[in-house]
Amino acid sequence: MIMLSRVAERLYWMARYLERAEDTARLTQSFNHLIMDIPAGSEPGWDILVRILDAEHVFGEKHRAFNEQNVLKFLIADEENAGSIHFCIKAARENVRTTRDVLPEEVWEHVNELYLFSMEHAAKSVGRRNRHAFLEQVVTRCQMINGLLMTTLCRDHAYRFIKLGHLLERADMTTRVIDVGAGALLGDERLNKAVDPLIWACLLQSLSAMGTYRRTIGPLVEANAVVEFVFRERSLPRSVKFCLDGIRQELVPLKHNHEALKVMERARRRLSRFHVEQAERQDLHDFIDRFQLELNTLGSIISSTWFMPVESQPEI
Amino acid sequence: MNKSWKMYSHGNAGDFFDELITDTGRPRLVARHAIKMLQGLSSEEMAARRGAAELAIREMGISFTIYSEGKNIDRAWPFDIIPRIIPDKEWQKVSGGLAQRSRALNCFIDDIYNKQKILADGIVPADIVLESDNYKPQCANVSPRYGAWAHVCGTDLVRDRDGKFYVLEDNLRVPSGVSYMIENREITKRVLPELFKNNSILPVDDYSSRLYSTLASLSSRNRRRPCIVVLTPGIYNSAYFEHAYLAQGMGAELVEGSDLFVDESDCLYMRTVDGPEQVDVVYRRIDDEFLDPEEFREDSSLGVPGIMRAWKKGNVAIANAPGSGVADDKVIYAFVPQMIRYYLGEEPSLACVKTYLCMNEPDREYVLANLDKLVVKPANESGGYGLMVGPHATKARRAEFAKLIEANPRNYIAQPTLSLSTAPTYIDETVEPRHLDLRPFILQGKDTWVTPGGLTRVALVKGSLVVNSSQGGGSKDTWIVESTKAASSRGAAKGKGQ
Repeated sequence: MIMLSRVAERLYWMARYLERAEDTARLTQSFNHLIMDIPAGSEPGWDILVRILDAEHVFGEKHRAFNEQNVLKFLIADEENAGSIHFCIKAARENVRTTRDVLPEEVWEHVNELYLFSMEHAAKSVGRRNRHAFLEQVVTRCQMINGLLMTTLCRDHAYRFIKLGHLLERADMTTRVIDVGAGALLGDERLNKAVDPLIWACLLQSLSAMGTYRRTIGPLVEANAVVEFVFRERSLPRSVKFCLDGIRQELVPLKHNHEALKVMERARRRLSRFHVEQAERQDLHDFIDRFQLELNTLGSIISSTWFMPVESQPEI
Repeated sequence: MNKSWKMYSHGNAGDFFDELITDTGRPRLVARHAIKMLQGLSSEEMAARRGAAELAIREMGISFTIYSEGKNIDRAWPFDIIPRIIPDKEWQKVSGGLAQRSRALNCFIDDIYNKQKILADGIVPADIVLESDNYKPQCANVSPRYGAWAHVCGTDLVRDRDGKFYVLEDNLRVPSGVSYMIENREITKRVLPELFKNNSILPVDDYSSRLYSTLASLSSRNRRRPCIVVLTPGIYNSAYFEHAYLAQGMGAELVEGSDLFVDESDCLYMRTVDGPEQVDVVYRRIDDEFLDPEEFREDSSLGVPGIMRAWKKGNVAIANAPGSGVADDKVIYAFVPQMIRYYLGEEPSLACVKTYLCMNEPDREYVLANLDKLVVKPANESGGYGLMVGPHATKARRAEFAKLIEANPRNYIAQPTLSLSTAPTYIDETVEPRHLDLRPFILQGKDTWVTPGGLTRVALVKGSLVVNSSQGGGSKDTWIVESTKAASSRGAAKGKGQ
């Protein structure tokens, strides 16, 4: 079965953008709940959301203040921010449009509908009133598309590159979520320690992991246990371990996978050697930083190995 | 007969040849069964069949793209449920004429890029060939396999008042429409299945495999299954649906220019996730100008740098071969009968439309004096751009063309206005005559093959001669039907013949 590099690349990016749209919606949704639970004065600033996505620079070009209105507009409806939900949906649609022939027919229909929905509602959903319903719809529709792909796609290269895109994006987002909890972003001095469990619980929720956590670890939400759980619980579909295992599984059957596997193994080793209990908050933050660099490297290797093969001439 | 057909109750009112109904209002012999069945349907049933066709078109996703106001719109394919029917005896002659024409045109192209004997012998004036924009010096001294250049040709035919088929033009560059010919048959099978019981209709759905065989025969590498790709300009092209359709039908990859590259040994590869895969045959659906920025337009991002090198070395076959357009020129059109006599030693069996070449003084004088009766066409344009229909043009427009002709006579030809034939077409609630043409497709590789029928395009606007789908044109399923007598004794005839 031949798979053109261009088609593989578009499928991979379709998956990344869909995952990013869903994850950003989840994160925003959980954060919304959190803000309402925390006593006024103790709540973390809205800037955290922008920082999680490493988007301070882009944000700064458009807005001065990190207030609710600006941040939510930036995350939900911004046309140029590559991390905004609307942008991701639009980008996913463009990628499906040109790969329709290798995907089940309904995938295009659902992605197109999601896009039309976002076109109509994203800008109107920045305010608190419609925000919840919009975010929930985005998550639901993304999951429907994922479900469709998982249950109908032939397990060939197309499936493989879609899965790689999803897992890589998800691993990246999960580590970002942990980073918020790591406190590197939550200046200790301005925070009431009593709200810590609330924040951790919120982050677990954004990963759909609260229930599993309670059943596996227990009802008490505690920083180290959460980090340990989200990093290393191999049965949790949004844990870093799960994502890395899945990526590895899809890399193995590909040709020319040597370099990608090498980086992959390094990331796995790094993860398994990290000891949460012994780490200070700063250590955790540094670890996540390095780990994300590793994921970036893996992303570029995937791109240079399979999307723009080295044997070929450069694009003109 | 139900009242939908009242326009036809007194015969064919217009001064045109009608494909299905005679001047006295009776169905033509070949269409007898079909007309009887269709006239037996009530208005409600007719409407229901049309609804079913529209549904089938949506379900099958048959669409074409039009580009307007900066946006691409995917439109459902416009289709008329009443088929156009041609007797096979008549078609055999047309088909033979098309094959003859295709062979002669390919001999001509091969000759022009090699020995140029026809120019030396003064059959065709050298300057009109060599000074044409369609002549590509880059292609000189290349000899594609079997001397075949225009592997896929779409020839437009029309029937005049006398009921005779005339060749209107040959499309030798990247003719499109064949996927719709196949899909139209699929739709008719779904919505009018009864018609297939009493008629012996030649099938059209083996086109993709015929195309595959033709293309495969061009491969220079001896492989069991040569690697064939369909090269598309991309999703924004109006014929993207067809590119995807044919690629799928042949089991070939649908590629864009950036998927391909040429290496130092001048071989063509496509980039796949398993590494480069050598390509043997490119069925390209982009124009010469965009094919290779090394040889043609430097700013082209649609093409593949170096593909011409690979082609000239014989490492890859390109269909249609670059430069084929040299025979797809309205001035050259006038010389096709001479080509047939010159290369094949045969008399042309298909009629051409009388063509006045404005470059010749007597012709030019006649054209300028009769602009109100003639159709004036630019020599190099295709797709009906920039032409003037004399009888329908304003005085100012005619004056404008007179100036154009005098400024650049080589670039203009003129032809008498033809009365395109009509066929019953289901419009709103009634069946009315509408003008149509026919585009059969001719494949030329080791052998020549002609589609049974072709794509019939119909002008849905009353009195209009414009059949183009982007301008209110529709299409019809086209049947080549064995005549009743032959059909009833078909088995016996076949046995004897072989």
